[in-house]
Amino acid sequence: MNCLLCEQPKQSSPSWQSLIAIEKSTLICEDCSNQFKRVDIIEVGDNIDSITSIFTYNEAMRNYLHQYKFLQDIALAGVFSNELKQALSKKKAIIVPIPMHPTKKIERTFAQVDELLKAADVSFEDLLIKTNQEVMGEKTREERLSMSRLFQIKPQVEIESTTYILVDDIYTTGTTMQHAALTLKEAGAKTVHAVTLIRAASEQ
Amino acid sequence: MPKSINPAIRDFLDGRIWLRLHTPFTIEDINQQIEAGHIEIIQGIESKLVFMNRKSYTCNRCENTDQSKFTIFNCAKCEASCAYCRNCIKMGRVASCTELIVWKGEQPIYPTSHTLAWEGTLTPRQQQASDDLTRSQEINRSHLIYAVCGSGKTEILFPPIFHLLKQGKRVCIAAPRVDVILELEPRLRVAFPQTEIESLYGGAKPTMKASQLVLATTHQLYRFQHAFDAIFVDEADAFPYKADETLQKAVRKAVKPTKPIHFVTATPSDKLLVEAKSTGGISIINRRYHGHDLPTPAYISLWKYEHHIQKGRLPKKLTDWTNERIKKSEPFLIFFHHIGFMEKAEPLFQLIHPGIHSVHAAHPDRKTYVQALRDKAIPGLLTTTILERGITIQNVQVAVIGAEQRIFDKAALIQIGGRVGRSSAFPTGDFTLFHNGITYAMDEAKSEILKLNKGGGTNPDELPFM
Repeated sequence: MNCLLCEQPKQSSPSWQSLIAIEKSTLICEDCSNQFKRVDIIEVGDNIDSITSIFTYNEAMRNYLHQYKFLQDIALAGVFSNELKQALSKKKAIIVPIPMHPTKKIERTFAQVDELLKAADVSFEDLLIKTNQEVMGEKTREERLSMSRLFQIKPQVEIESTTYILVDDIYTTGTTMQHAALTLKEAGAKTVHAVTLIRAASEQ
Repeated sequence: MPKSINPAIRDFLDGRIWLRLHTPFTIEDINQQIEAGHIEIIQGIESKLVFMNRKSYTCNRCENTDQSKFTIFNCAKCEASCAYCRNCIKMGRVASCTELIVWKGEQPIYPTSHTLAWEGTLTPRQQQASDDLTRSQEINRSHLIYAVCGSGKTEILFPPIFHLLKQGKRVCIAAPRVDVILELEPRLRVAFPQTEIESLYGGAKPTMKASQLVLATTHQLYRFQHAFDAIFVDEADAFPYKADETLQKAVRKAVKPTKPIHFVTATPSDKLLVEAKSTGGISIINRRYHGHDLPTPAYISLWKYEHHIQKGRLPKKLTDWTNERIKKSEPFLIFFHHIGFMEKAEPLFQLIHPGIHSVHAAHPDRKTYVQALRDKAIPGLLTTTILERGITIQNVQVAVIGAEQRIFDKAALIQIGGRVGRSSAFPTGDFTLFHNGITYAMDEAKSEILKLNKGGGTNPDELPFM
C-alpha cells in the first residue's frame, strides 16, 4: 500500500510486534512519519485539571491538517491512531470529543475529532453541543474570554461525578477547552482532563 | 432575463469541469445560469454494482477508476454513505454528493487575429517537422515530434500553433512538470503578443478571460473537458505523466473528441514510437540545431561508492573529476539517485569547494541555486533527476554517480546527457557515468546516442533503436 501522504510505496520493515499484531500498521511511510515532531507536554489550565498534547505544530502538521480538514480527506483520520490510542488508553474516564457546530459539520461533511477517535478505535460519547459558529483564531484575547459559553450539555444527558477526558485536534489558546471543561464541571463532572493531538503556540 | 447568458461565467467555464460550489462566481449567479439551461450538472462520483454486489466507483472529474483511491465514509451532508476520490483531492474534494458543472450554452468566439512575433528562422529539419505537424493537425492525426535534446523543439510548434489560432481554435500545451511550463510561458508570450494566454499549475490563479492558448501541467487538465482543438504534450515521457494513467486520460478528456494530441520529446517510449509509426504522424530530428554531435557518455567504474560515501570518504576519481571542472571554471551538475545519499555526499563535496550545494524537487532554494550556477556564483550542484530535463546552462558538464541505479533508465540518461553542449558557443562537454557495474539502460542510452550521431533515425521505417 502507498503512503497516504506522499503516495510513495511504503516500505515496512517486518518486526515481531507487527507479526503478532501488537503494533497496528501505520498508514504513512517512515519518511513522512519522521516529519512529525512529538512534544508530549502536560499543562494545567483554568477549570481543567490537565491538558496533554502529543505533537508540535510544524510545517508537516500544518499540511496534514490542511489536507484532513480543509481538503476533507477523511482517509487521513487514522494517521495518528497509534499515538491517540496510547494517550487515551489505561484511563478510567469518559471520553468526550469537542463537537462541531451542526452547520459547520454539514459543510465539512464529517466531524474531525469524532473521526480521529473512531479511526483509533477509542470509544467516546458525544455529550456536548456547540452553540455558536465563531472561529477562535479570528478573535482577540479579550473577545475570546468575554464570550458567552460556547457549549452546552446535550438534552437528556446526565453528567456523573466522575472523570471526563475532552479530546480536540489542536490546542492553541485554550479557550475552547476551558469553555468545554467548565460546562462539564458545572453539570457535575468531578475531574476534567484534556488530550489534544497538536500543541500550537498561541500568537500573543 | 433568466435565459440571458452571463458572458463572464461562459468565458471561464467553457471547456472546464468545475466544482459547483467553488467557482470564482457567486452561488446565485451560477444557479441562475443553471436555471437558464446554460450549465449542466454532473454527479461527482458515479458508482455501479459489479461482482457480488460490490460497488465500483468512477470519478467524473479525473476519470480515476482505481478503487484503492476511493474512500467511503458516512457523510454528514448527504446523510448517507459517500465515496470520494483521493486521486484529484488536491484540487478540491469530489465526493458522491459533489456536483460538477460544465458549460453547455453558446460557446465563446475566439479571435482569429493573431501575430507570430518570433524572429528566428527554423533550420530545414525543423521546418520539415513543423510542416508535417501542421499537416497531421489538418487530418486530425496525432503527431510525434521526436527530436534530440537541444534541437529547438519549442520553435517547431510555433507555426502550427499560429495556424490554429488564426482559425479561432483553442490550443493547449501541456507538460508533466511545472518547471517546463514556467520556462515556456515567457517565450510564448513574446511569440504570440496578441493572444490571450493563460498558465495553469498548482497555485496559479486562473485568469477570468476566455484564454485561447492554455499552458498547463498535465494535472490541471483534470479540470478540463472537451476544451481544445489540439493539445501538445511536451516531455511526454517525464514523470509523473509517463506512469500515471489518470494523467493520460486527463489529456484525452481535455481535447475535443475527434481532435488530435501531439507529443514532443527527445526520448519517446517504445509505445509512443510504435503508435506514431503506425499512423505515420512522426517527425524525427537527430541533429542539434547547431549541427554538432550529442555528447557520448564515458563510463568510469566507481566500485562500492555507496559504502565509501556513507563512511565519509569521497572516491578519488570523483574528487579528480570535480577538481578538473573547478580548475577549468566549467559549471557542473552531478546527478544522484537518492536524496538522502546525496545529502551524505554534500559535505564531502563542500570540502573540495564550499560553494557546492545540493538540490531536489522539494528544495526551497532550488531556483536560487540553479540561477547561481548560471551566474557562475557557485561552481556546481549536486542534484536528483529533477534537473534531468528542461534546463539549459551554458557550458555545463555532467556526471552521474551510480549510473547503474534503476532510476537512471535509458530516457533519463539521454536527457541528462542532453544538458551538455546545448549552445553553439560550447557545443561539446564532459558526460561521465560513474558506476558500480554497467546496466542495459546505460548501454542502450549510449548506443542510441551513437546511432543518432551517425545519422540514424531519420527514416521512421528503420527506427533502429526500438
